[in-house]
Amino acid sequence: MPNNENPAVVELRIPCKPEYVGVARLAILGVASRMKFSYDEVEDVRLAVGEACTTSVEWAERNGKADSDILLRSEIDTEKLTVDVIDEAGGRSETNAGGDGDQEPENLGALLITLLVDDVKVEAKEQGTTVRMVKYAGQR
Amino acid sequence: MNFKMDVRTMETDLPIIELEGEVDVYTAPQLKQQIIGILESGAKELVVDLTKVDYLDSTALGVLIGGLKRMREVDGNMVLICPSPRIRRVFEITGLDKIFDIYNSEEEAREVIGKETV
Repeated sequence: MPNNENPAVVELRIPCKPEYVGVARLAILGVASRMKFSYDEVEDVRLAVGEACTTSVEWAERNGKADSDILLRSEIDTEKLTVDVIDEAGGRSETNAGGDGDQEPENLGALLITLLVDDVKVEAKEQGTTVRMVKYAGQR
Repeated sequence: MNFKMDVRTMETDLPIIELEGEVDVYTAPQLKQQIIGILESGAKELVVDLTKVDYLDSTALGVLIGGLKRMREVDGNMVLICPSPRIRRVFEITGLDKIFDIYNSEEEAREVIGKETV
């Protein structure tokens, strides 16, 4: 059983492409299901991780980095799950923000992540972005 | 990928898009094309049935919002059928349940959308 000193780590590397986001969601579903989460909390984690990967895929397409990867790193602690979604999809500056007339799904994605997990930290760099999400078990 | 889309016409000539499975960044573009096609055919009302959808993300929400906006621009409407509490929750936490007309069944939607027609 993982504990606070030695959290178990599960890593998955997927191509930064739309068709692989579902693979990341499946993997995190398996990881979150091993924890003391309610059914709804597992769903929250699945959706939040899906949204983080989707944002990476969208930026990769805009930045011409569709050949890059996403690293999904989950740290399973007794009381919390920490998931890092690490991409190499290039920078996320306003100037290269596109959009095809739909209602800014990316803002919706960011909003969803904030609402679904307990902590979010975004570290954006020139080469890529790391989104760290933390969900505590037994919060509601 | 677990996704299916069917389009049929209800007896009131109302087009209905039935979705099944996961509507996400990979599959939502297909839904977008379908909605655009229906709009271009001149329909002013549309029903999107999410009864069999088990996953819906922000990309899908964006496509649905875009569809609703375009329908309303031509004084039409697009309504949703969504009996699943899990999927409905995505609309609720984002506040989109106040923008969309969401019904529990086709019967319910048909009753209301038929009466709303000008």
